[in-house]
Amino acid sequence: MEEFLDNGLKKQVRRVFEDFKEPVTILVFSSASKCEYCEETIQLLKEVVALSDLLTLEEHDLDEERELASRYHVDKAPGIVIAGKQGEEIIDFGIRYYGVPAGSEFGALINDLVTVSKRESGLSEETLAFLAGLKEPVHLMVFSTPT
Amino acid sequence: MVLAHRMALESPLIEAEAIEATEFMDLVGRHHVSGVPQTTINHGARDVVGAVPEHFLVAEIEKALKKEAGA
Repeated sequence: MEEFLDNGLKKQVRRVFEDFKEPVTILVFSSASKCEYCEETIQLLKEVVALSDLLTLEEHDLDEERELASRYHVDKAPGIVIAGKQGEEIIDFGIRYYGVPAGSEFGALINDLVTVSKRESGLSEETLAFLAGLKEPVHLMVFSTPT
Repeated sequence: MVLAHRMALESPLIEAEAIEATEFMDLVGRHHVSGVPQTTINHGARDVVGAVPEHFLVAEIEKALKKEAGA
C-alpha cells in the first residue's frame, strides 16, 4: 500500500511532535469481520508513530481480545485509544476515536497526541473546577465527518 | 484537540469518543445526528449540534446530569 503521509506532511508533524513530554501509546482494535477501513487505519497510525520515539502502537483484535476490548469499552472497529504510558503501565484517560482519523480528524489526532503527551488540557479554570466537582460518569460521543 | 477529549484528559469520570459519522451510519441513525459535529451526552440525555464553546458544553453536561437525576 502506498504511504498516506508525504514527506512535507511528515516534516510538519515532526515539528508539532517536538512539544512531546511524556510517552503516549495508541491502542488500535481492528476486526477481520465488518471493518472496511481497519487496514488503512493501522497503516496511517504506523506512519504516525514512526515520527516520534515517544509514541508506540499496540495492535489488538476486537473479536479475539474481547476482555481487553471491554476493559477499554471498545465495541466497534477501527477503535483507537489514545493513552499515556508510564514505564509498562498504560494510563487510560478515556480518549477514543472510531473510524479512520483522516481529513480534519487527522489534525485533531495529532493535536490530541501532543496534548496527552503534555498532560495539559488548556481548559479554563471554570471548566476545570466543574470537572473536579463531577460525581457521576459522563459519556460523550462526538460525531463528525472527514471534510 | 476535540474539546470532549480535553475534558476526558482532565477527569477520570469522562469518556469521550470521536466518531467518524460516515463509517458508523447505524449510530448516526440511533442518535438522531442531524448535523456535524454533534455531541451526544450520556447516550442521548442531551444532544449539542455544532462546534460550541467550552462553557456551553459544560452547561449542557450539567443539564444532562440534572435530567438524569430527575431534577
